[in-house]
Amino acid sequence: MTRVEDRLDATFTALADPTRRAIVARLATGDATVNDLAEPFDMTLPAISKHLKVLERCGLITRSRRAQFRPCHLEREALDAAVDWIEESRRIWTERFDKLDVHLRDIQRGSSSRQKGNDQ
Amino acid sequence: MSEHTTESELNFTRVFAAPRELVFRCMIEPEHLTHFWGPTGVSTPRENIKVEAHPGGAFETVLVNDADGSEYAMRATYVEIVEHERIVWIDPDSGMTTTSTFVDLGEAGTEIHIRQTNVPEPMRGPEAQAGFLTSLDRFASYVVTISGGSER
Repeated sequence: MTRVEDRLDATFTALADPTRRAIVARLATGDATVNDLAEPFDMTLPAISKHLKVLERCGLITRSRRAQFRPCHLEREALDAAVDWIEESRRIWTERFDKLDVHLRDIQRGSSSRQKGNDQ
Repeated sequence: MSEHTTESELNFTRVFAAPRELVFRCMIEPEHLTHFWGPTGVSTPRENIKVEAHPGGAFETVLVNDADGSEYAMRATYVEIVEHERIVWIDPDSGMTTTSTFVDLGEAGTEIHIRQTNVPEPMRGPEAQAGFLTSLDRFASYVVTISGGSER
């Protein structure tokens, strides 16, 4: 459990950088070489490579050892784990606040004389 | 390793049609928390909610799954409490810090802003945040939009 959280932590740290998020978003549409990735971001190859290393270290992407241009591949499972955690957290707060909304209406209605709860 | 000073955070905002003092009390008084703290299908029994509303005090709840009765204990420690304005607690296990900010919108009610960060001691200045801390939750929905169309 701690291992998963450590991994998630590294993933979130990696994703905290806007350039790396953009790289991940690009790779979500398909594999790409360093050259492919450098172009739209207007960055040098070494700068892109540095970001790729961070993404590789946390397991978000892998790079082929064989192919000449070593295309980068997004590891969907690693990304999904991060996205799932985020979605789960958002779901909990959404549902919690849905209930709070109802609760606030109830207690305010109660204090303004329009009592409910006379069913049976 | 200097890039590890960057930080990830999640943000949630919601507006409630109620005065700020009341919304604030709901987030810190057990008799209110028991009504809404568990998400859908999950209860939070009043007797198992512990609130010591001061820095260093405990904030503990036991979430009970309505379907199978399974329980999950949540233990946090209050870091800061500013009456009607802000509540901060930290989960000592994960180091995740949750900050609830209450904004008085007058006629429109009260806005709660929840910010969750993984960093125990928030040591960044406001200007540092403004620049690069785009929220991960927006990124998540974006990635799902562009790549997850086939699942679901």
